[in-house]
Amino acid sequence: MRKYLALGKGSFMIGMVYRFGFIATIAGNILYMVIAFYLWTSVYEGQEVLNGLTFDQTFLYVALASTVFILFNTYVDWIMSYEIRQGTITNYLVKPIDHQLAMLSFGCGRTILNVLIVTLPTAVLLTLVFGVAIQFGVGLLLFPVSLGLAFLVSFSIDYSIGLSGFYTESIWGLVTVKETLILALSGALIPLQFFPEGLQNALLWLPFAAIYHTPLMMITQPDQDLAVLLERLGLQVFWVGSLFILSRLFYNRAIKVLRIAGG
Amino acid sequence: MALIHIEDLSKHFKILNRRQGLSGSFRDLFSRDYRTVKAVDGISFDIEAGEMVGYIGPNGAGKSTTIKMMTGILKPTSGTILVNDQIPYENRIRQAQIMGVVFGQRSQLWWDLPVIESFRLLREIYKVDQAAFDEHMAIFDDLVGLSALYSQQVRTLSLGQRMLCDITASFLHNPSVVFLDEPTIGLDVSVKSKIRSLIRELNRVHNTTIILTTHDLGDVEALCRRIIIIDKGSILYDGSTEKVSQLFGVFRTLEIQVVGANEETTDLIGARLTERFGDQVGITVRPGEESWTAITIDQALIPLSDVLNFMMTTFPVDDVRIVEISMENVVQRIYEGALQ
Repeated sequence: MRKYLALGKGSFMIGMVYRFGFIATIAGNILYMVIAFYLWTSVYEGQEVLNGLTFDQTFLYVALASTVFILFNTYVDWIMSYEIRQGTITNYLVKPIDHQLAMLSFGCGRTILNVLIVTLPTAVLLTLVFGVAIQFGVGLLLFPVSLGLAFLVSFSIDYSIGLSGFYTESIWGLVTVKETLILALSGALIPLQFFPEGLQNALLWLPFAAIYHTPLMMITQPDQDLAVLLERLGLQVFWVGSLFILSRLFYNRAIKVLRIAGG
Repeated sequence: MALIHIEDLSKHFKILNRRQGLSGSFRDLFSRDYRTVKAVDGISFDIEAGEMVGYIGPNGAGKSTTIKMMTGILKPTSGTILVNDQIPYENRIRQAQIMGVVFGQRSQLWWDLPVIESFRLLREIYKVDQAAFDEHMAIFDDLVGLSALYSQQVRTLSLGQRMLCDITASFLHNPSVVFLDEPTIGLDVSVKSKIRSLIRELNRVHNTTIILTTHDLGDVEALCRRIIIIDKGSILYDGSTEKVSQLFGVFRTLEIQVVGANEETTDLIGARLTERFGDQVGITVRPGEESWTAITIDQALIPLSDVLNFMMTTFPVDDVRIVEISMENVVQRIYEGALQ
């Protein structure tokens, strides 16, 4: 356990080396929130509630979505594909360490850094400048749990994309497809409540919704039925479990390419 | 029981034969033509605990493939491999605990962080207790004065400094065996000698078994009593380093650049040397790179200084250098039966 803590700590420290990246990220996120604010203001022109969401709820949902996007951006997929191409992945194979857990620790370290440097300032900004009021309800208590599960879903997808580096020289295309799919289908750009009902019900079952929609719903509509909230949480647990296991199986398969075909 | 036991070990790779040109690329899409490359082809040897063995051979001989099988990265196609009585690729995590590995061109240090952070991380990964860690670090500091580098970012280190740190790091958890794959590649003579004395000391302190692959015969001569020479996947020689050095240590190549050299210079030098020293096998003259002429001398028959003196007085010599025999040359001579 301590070895993984040490890895996470190292990843945290590496993240801090690149200060300029954070300034750029925070500035970009603020700009996005300003644009989203005016965009959704005009969408709500003269209307109190759209698709069951008030303006405050929608704006909080969208602003947090972009913040969560940055939060979960751990570069695990890029790092892995780089290490596979450079051959430095062999350094993990000769150490008493589990690769998936090592990468998870790496991602966690980065995400904790993101919380401190991007998420907290954004939360302060949201409440002070935009004056967003958060409703209270049981969902708020479940939100941190849900966000943690969402992180694990996001990590498992990134990890699998990274592993595909064993089969292809450049994972750039795959990463782009992944990001587009997630942004479009998870509620990260437009809340899922705004999708047509049939599509919305289908999307709710996909792992993408487990990354954004579920935790965001907990914080924007915390006063929902506990049964609904728990059902969403249960589905998240299902996706965490199955994607974690699937990506582990994928690792065992991919590593055989290296073991048999040479590194 | 030997620490490393290898018997009739083979590793074959299937390599895709790519056809040439655009039409060839299209045909590759539909039908693929593979050929088998025997990277390692039926090798056997035992290595005892505490030995330092030089594992050498020209490029593509199968050195790295063997190392990767011993470290459990690659699975053999056939044959037996046991390290500390365990099959490396089957008990990877447990085996990793007793091994240290340095891949010369693939650093295990954290690029962006100060050196000491990588050591701290390795301490946690291998569960080295603080007292043992401190003791190790003190030894390393004595040997190479590493503490001055601790707070420096790895990426700002020179290649030699980085290699010293990488080697040191691989000994941190006191492994039973350390594999050093090309630890001196691309380094200048003074750094090489520093690295050699570090390796020698590390072997002495805990009687660590060391397998060293290298291009540089000098590394092996300086460190290893035993040498295994591999070429095209098979073992050419397995025995004392002394025998190999005696045989090849006597050969030196004298390279000479003559003022106003042209195509006939090499022939002319050859003719003059034959005139002076007689038609002996001890001297071979061939054109070197650019306007250089390479004269390989068997010092058992003719002293190098005699040839050098003769050359200096006979030709308007511009520049001179003395080169040790190369790995490729050694392998060539073994094929020609030099060690029989």
